[in-house]
Amino acid sequence: MSLPQKLTAEFDELVKNYPERRAALIVALHRCQEELGGWISPQTMEDLGTYFGLEPVEVFGVASFYPMFNLRPVGKHVVSICHNISCDLRGAQDIIAKACEVTGAPLGGTSKDGKWTVKHVECQGACANAPMIDLDGVYHEDLTIEKVAKILGAVR
Amino acid sequence: MVKITVNGRVVDADPTKPLIRACHDNDVDVPMYCYHPGLSPVGSCRICQVEVKQGEAPGRVMVACRTQPVEGMIVDTESPKAHDTRRECLEFLLKNHPLDCPICDKAGECDLQDYAYDEGQAEGRSNEPRRPMEKRKSLGDVIVLDEERCILCSRCVRFFEEVPKKAQLTVSDLGSRSIISTFMDRPLTGNYQGNIADLCPVGALTLKKFRFQARVWNLVKMASTCVECSRGCSIQVEVLRGSDVKRFRPRANEKVNGHWMCDYGRFAIGHANADGRLEGARIMEGVTLLQSPIEDGLCAVRDALMSSKGALFVLSPYCTVEEGQALLELARRHRAEIAFVSPAANALKDDLLHTGDPCPNRRGLSELGIAGDTPLNLTKRIAAAKVAVVAGERVVEILGAAEVKALPATVALYAFECHPVEARALRCEIGIANHVERAGTVVNLDGIRGPLAAVKPAPRGVRALSRHLEDLARLSPLSKESASR
Amino acid sequence: MKAFETYLLDRAKVEGNHQLATYEKLGGYKGLEKVLKGGMTPATVVDEMKKSGLRGRGGAGFSTGMKWSFMPDITKDPRVRYLAINADESEPGTCKDRVLMEKDPHGVIEGALIAAYAIRASAVYVYVRGEYRLSHDRMAAAVKEARAANLVGKNILGSDYSCEVHMHKGAGAYICGEETGLMESLEGKRGHPRQKPPFPAQSGLWSSPTTVNNVETVFNAPYIIERGAAWHAAIGTQNSKGNFLVGISGHVNKPGVYELPFGVTAQEILEEKAGGVWKDRKLKAWFPGGSSCSLLKGSDVDVVLDHDSLRARGSSLGTAAMVMMDDHTSMARVMEVIARFYEHESCGQCSQCREGTQWLSQIFHRIAHGHGLEDDVATLEALAKGMAPGKTICALSDAAAIPTLSAVKLFKDELIECIRQKRDPLAAPAPKYATVGAH
Repeated sequence: MSLPQKLTAEFDELVKNYPERRAALIVALHRCQEELGGWISPQTMEDLGTYFGLEPVEVFGVASFYPMFNLRPVGKHVVSICHNISCDLRGAQDIIAKACEVTGAPLGGTSKDGKWTVKHVECQGACANAPMIDLDGVYHEDLTIEKVAKILGAVR
Repeated sequence: MVKITVNGRVVDADPTKPLIRACHDNDVDVPMYCYHPGLSPVGSCRICQVEVKQGEAPGRVMVACRTQPVEGMIVDTESPKAHDTRRECLEFLLKNHPLDCPICDKAGECDLQDYAYDEGQAEGRSNEPRRPMEKRKSLGDVIVLDEERCILCSRCVRFFEEVPKKAQLTVSDLGSRSIISTFMDRPLTGNYQGNIADLCPVGALTLKKFRFQARVWNLVKMASTCVECSRGCSIQVEVLRGSDVKRFRPRANEKVNGHWMCDYGRFAIGHANADGRLEGARIMEGVTLLQSPIEDGLCAVRDALMSSKGALFVLSPYCTVEEGQALLELARRHRAEIAFVSPAANALKDDLLHTGDPCPNRRGLSELGIAGDTPLNLTKRIAAAKVAVVAGERVVEILGAAEVKALPATVALYAFECHPVEARALRCEIGIANHVERAGTVVNLDGIRGPLAAVKPAPRGVRALSRHLEDLARLSPLSKESASR
Repeated sequence: MKAFETYLLDRAKVEGNHQLATYEKLGGYKGLEKVLKGGMTPATVVDEMKKSGLRGRGGAGFSTGMKWSFMPDITKDPRVRYLAINADESEPGTCKDRVLMEKDPHGVIEGALIAAYAIRASAVYVYVRGEYRLSHDRMAAAVKEARAANLVGKNILGSDYSCEVHMHKGAGAYICGEETGLMESLEGKRGHPRQKPPFPAQSGLWSSPTTVNNVETVFNAPYIIERGAAWHAAIGTQNSKGNFLVGISGHVNKPGVYELPFGVTAQEILEEKAGGVWKDRKLKAWFPGGSSCSLLKGSDVDVVLDHDSLRARGSSLGTAAMVMMDDHTSMARVMEVIARFYEHESCGQCSQCREGTQWLSQIFHRIAHGHGLEDDVATLEALAKGMAPGKTICALSDAAAIPTLSAVKLFKDELIECIRQKRDPLAAPAPKYATVGAH
């Protein structure tokens, strides 16, 4: 197996930006996660290793360092909720509880129907508009319990 | 070189190497975990902290492995600040480290134990539960990982990247969740895995073959040389008192093997410990081999040599320079031909240490003027001879046990071997010490001489080949002593 | 507070400013033009920056001009050079660079190009934290527009100067905001900070001379070039010059990012910009500059928010991210959250940080949940002293130790009370939720 041509074509252009190919690895991991099911599988890590001339274990070492990379399958929708200080001071714990309740996902895990993963994350830079969630890559800020229920409830 | 002061003593320091090397080279102890002279420095463990004063600035505590010696630097490795910083560091390391010493192979040679003892870090303040992790994670055939013991020095990770130059391990995850991992639990591969057990400063990486075999303080350790190929890596042979060889470990030798040895040599302790040794002498009477006094066996050899013209000496490539010299003289005295068995190269050759040539002393014997010949040729030459003396550890195995067994009865075969020889041509066999039971010298492929040491007592009734040859010389008619026999 | 002239956020307030046409209409790229076509040498630009008194806005507050001057002499060291823009903004409470990238990306690019010219860099890498997707996309679109308009790439504006701008992404690790961690990450590796020395100016990206600057820092460059170093140096206080972006969050009525000159007090910001403490409560404690600085008491809100004044008060400016806590706040809970953050973000290299951040986190967690022990407070202090100062490869260990020591110093009684009562009397009621891996 190898990476889809669409991605390798992208990476062929990307590596031109750097004096060493390997520098494109983290952006490449993002793209793989976006295009290949929302997570980085062992096969993807092997394929990236082949592409970048790295051992799979080296790719694994890099991928496992960064919290944004999911090394296990995730639900169809991923809700990341900041639980750092500015958000905590403005009720992040309640937002987290509501999100888990509405989605049926345990905190840090995936709902049984596979539709939702809820993660708590550190400061997302939305402090002036706390509390917040990142839903599938989009920030929703200035939340209340009601608002978050509505936003998540509206996702099909 | 620059001049620096270390603990009041002015010493020379290589400015291209880290300060910790200058300290170690001048017999000044500085503790280290992540630093290793055979690997690139990282400076992450923070244990090698020493107080450094340069110019007018006040003394600062710095890690010696990432500090370059500068002319006029004043180093104090024993200052209160240096000790305090190290003690703090140890308390942090001991917080999660399990109290496994009673069941840990590394006890007695553990850098965590040793430095904690040196720094007096006996009690920790932690009231927190230690993180539970996998304690017996198999990393393949050679290594077992205990994740709880790991102090994340990353030597093992760097070893694979920098020495065999193929990454096999990584630190996965980060921070307090860091774990040394392979990719998807794949086993380690390659001929150099054992080195990471040596490198590991604690008992996180241990050898499956050494696990629970011995307490290291019960091991008698002597410097020796590996005999499994012509590289002749410098090793340390470690014998459990009153028992077998338990470990071979590499010794640092810049000219030969750096800090490493291959697994093939490391785990060849089977040869050293093999059972079924030939003890004393056995002389063929009719069709039976009878256990006899050694002197009788030597006399049988002597008589055979004296009565024939054109005897053939076939040496094992494991014979030392000293044994080769003695056999050469004996051959000359009896105008016999002499050669050593030179088996073909094997497929174990790699880019690192193993040469693929299974003869540990090819160069040593060749330099004496003894020619090598193939097992096939030599068995033919033995078959054509009247008298043949085969001498040295594993000589029959290398010639081919089946070929030796099939030698015609027209040959009078005399063997100095470690194990009994099965051959209808056999007239007499005498037991000899193996490579861990007698001292000697071997010469590696680059001409570098390596010592063999007598670390393990030879079995009862077994003596070094040199002793037998000395006695044989004494029993020969050219010496006065033998006139009486 | 006294009236003051704004400039940093003026364009950002205009709809469409993230696009080149609007940006140029509002006077954008005049600074770059002045540098490249007005005969300013790189040395002159560096000098202007030094004279302006601009200090880095990423948290360390180092003189920008001086940092640029650390790059080696081009005649003696002809190696290729790089500028890395640190857009990894992850310090708790900090959300200002995001405003600039989303609403004024061309401003960031123009500033970066001026900085790149000053240090003779041939390429700029903008390292945007992975979560800032809009910032990244706005910046990427702006770079594309700029390239098409001969503002990025070969012979910019027809001058001899060529410089590429490449967008890059992080992936959620705070430690990649540390300049050497950033460089490791940019090179495609784990974000493990490097030993210093060597400093980035000697050996940075791919071992080449590199300068790493924060987004807001370079954003200031065009204003300084256009209006002059003297204009900038006339704003602010003795050692803190110019306007800067303050983030204020937590228990206030109007959290936000506000442009202010150095010299205003925290109280003025709290009351006149942020609408005061919410729910008619009083201020109990606050961080002036993110979580890596000492906590201050409510009564310290009279301090001028600049480098020297905060230092004199026992804290530091950091990223000017004010996090305000009302008098219903549990300081045990605050420190539980803060300590957990540093445990999560430690790269794990250094023994003191890897084990210490976990240890601090475990202790604060126990105290906040009613399982505190008698010697906990003393242990916190001892650990924090073992983790700092300067004992590790980077300052994350210090960043965890500093707020810990301040919490013990200012709120010891509250922590002891939690231990004594075996509960946190100020704890907010805990919501019920499925807790896999929750804290």
